[in-house]
Amino acid sequence: MGEVGIVSFGHTKYGILKDEISDLIGSVVEECLSRVEKGIEPKEIGLVITSCADDQFSNQHQTGALALRYLKNMDAEAFRVEAACSSGSLAVYLARKMLNAGYVDNVLVVGFEKMSRLSTEAATSVLIRGGSPEENRIGITQPAAYAMMAQIYMEKYGATEDDYAKVSVKNHNNALRNPWAQFHKKISVEDVKSSRLIASPIRLFHCSPISDGAAALLLSRRPRDYTDTPVYIKGMALANDALGVFERDDPTSVAATRKAAAKAFKEANIEVKDIDFAEVHDAFTPVELMIYEDLGFARKGEGYRLIRDGTVEFDGALPVNVSGGLKGKGHPIGATGVGMMVEIFLQLRGEADQRQLPDVEIGLAENHGGTGATSVVTILGR
Amino acid sequence: MAKLLAYSLVSVVPPPFKTEYIVGIAEEDGERMPVRIDRSHLKNLKIGISGTIKTRETDQGEIKYFTPEEVKVEGGKVALVTGAARGIGRAIAIELANRGYDMALNDIETSADGEETIKEIQCLGRRVLFTVADVSSYSDVQKMVEMVVEKFGRIDVLVNNAGINIDRLVTNMSPLEWQKVIDVNLTGVFNCTKAVLPHMIAAGGGRIINMSSQGALDGPVGQANYAAAKGGVISFTKVIAREYAQYNILCNAVAPGCIRTRMTDSIPPGQLRERVSKIPLGRRGEPGEVAKLVAFLAEDGTYITGQLILINAGEYI
Repeated sequence: MGEVGIVSFGHTKYGILKDEISDLIGSVVEECLSRVEKGIEPKEIGLVITSCADDQFSNQHQTGALALRYLKNMDAEAFRVEAACSSGSLAVYLARKMLNAGYVDNVLVVGFEKMSRLSTEAATSVLIRGGSPEENRIGITQPAAYAMMAQIYMEKYGATEDDYAKVSVKNHNNALRNPWAQFHKKISVEDVKSSRLIASPIRLFHCSPISDGAAALLLSRRPRDYTDTPVYIKGMALANDALGVFERDDPTSVAATRKAAAKAFKEANIEVKDIDFAEVHDAFTPVELMIYEDLGFARKGEGYRLIRDGTVEFDGALPVNVSGGLKGKGHPIGATGVGMMVEIFLQLRGEADQRQLPDVEIGLAENHGGTGATSVVTILGR
Repeated sequence: MAKLLAYSLVSVVPPPFKTEYIVGIAEEDGERMPVRIDRSHLKNLKIGISGTIKTRETDQGEIKYFTPEEVKVEGGKVALVTGAARGIGRAIAIELANRGYDMALNDIETSADGEETIKEIQCLGRRVLFTVADVSSYSDVQKMVEMVVEKFGRIDVLVNNAGINIDRLVTNMSPLEWQKVIDVNLTGVFNCTKAVLPHMIAAGGGRIINMSSQGALDGPVGQANYAAAKGGVISFTKVIAREYAQYNILCNAVAPGCIRTRMTDSIPPGQLRERVSKIPLGRRGEPGEVAKLVAFLAEDGTYITGQLILINAGEYI
């Protein structure tokens, strides 16, 4: 059995969009089909997996069947998956499992979210469901949960508010090169530190925004039938942890990411030093520093050094979130994980235009749900 | 004893919550748990502090609350009363001092009455600061509030009491006479409230009590300027209540009827007799009776905000 490969993609702009959920799904499905270099018939796609985090955003059930309308193959099977912010990667994970099992030959994954349907307060009350029931009941919002992780990390390891702000600044700078990004706005460390308090010490400019958007990927167990330059999934793993930050052994680590990364590296049979660039889950920018450690880019308690010494900048030795990340590019939840892999697909094929990184062969995507109860780490290569 | 591992002041709150609140992670006997912490403890919070955990019944079910070990706070509660030299303002100042408040008093000028009020409060063993300020001037008010915070470090209660009256029929009332009363009685309330709010927000809450008047409701002839200003105070109170409930700041208005002050002393005796005869309790109220209501709102009215409370012995029902 050959490796599963990504052969095509679709991607909308991220932001506050006028498009309805059906427009978003329809446009990425049609774009993904039309981009298949050697062509594909709808009947060749046996399965569609959609991902979105919450129906209150999409206002639509059975989005799998809705996607079939645009695929124009009602004989395919379709369903939706959910794992909070990691929904998109979970869809890809499951697609790959189905392909590896030989259940179908090609799977279309469609991630989307239409968050701007709700006010910030209402969206906050939807997103709080990503935490544990105990946190949910007393009002530990997602920013509050990340805030406490960030606070403990600063206390324990000596990271500073400037370090957190620099992650936001980096990702906004990167978003300037991405036409799909929600924000095309350069910001400064001072802008971040003086922005509105959301849940101390998390401020507005540490937070990924409320976004609309969609992204699609076509995965195949015979990728070369459809393109001469597929991007292969070299390693991919799913791991879980307790929902509540208070339940974790170490609140300054996303243990699910740590576990998933170890499995993914093992499967890909590569080492951390082989990774050329990464897209990671900076839903709230302080966590990006912890993720560096969980992925093995830095030793425990030293992740902040990578933002201080420029390693993770666009022109650094290990660029992280060149797409702008969730902070700069946007975070339409169900689309996010899929969008990360679209970015890596483009980079590895040399098609990332003005944000193209030189000489990249291996890219990594890290996408976690809530504060890390579900994490999917994916290693992609040519 | 429990230990606080982390905490966060949540400013953007999801429904059903309405007000800012503090959440945390605490550890007791090796078990970690998510907790709430009362907003009033914000200034004393630090990672690693000790405290106790108690369960409270709330609308969201049973919630564990972490209370930090008692931290000695410099000085006691502080109230700022404007127009406090005499009358209702003085009575409020003395009532609050009696209840343990250090008092910041304000009036437009120093006076023998003001001196007497200061002495009386000092006799009660409370600290006093008297500031001369025209509440209709925002820069005066800003300086006043800065002085109060510098001396006492906080303002728990603001009583917007300063007021004047220039009574004329509208046909005889000059635009200046209209404006002067509006400036002191309405803009003064805005100025003091605006200057004090940031300190109350930072401290985790406070009480604002605005003196309105029965005149806001019953159309007193000859008091168009006064009634309009006092009516404005009621509307202003309702807005402040809604805007700052999230910071645990409660704002109410009090509308006294016929109280024995210089204002009602100046009513011609015949007219005053006639007015008193229409009051069901058959007498003028005492400033001290109004002061007790204000003190109740300052101290005990934990579930009252945005309200107008009438104190008039049934004169206006």
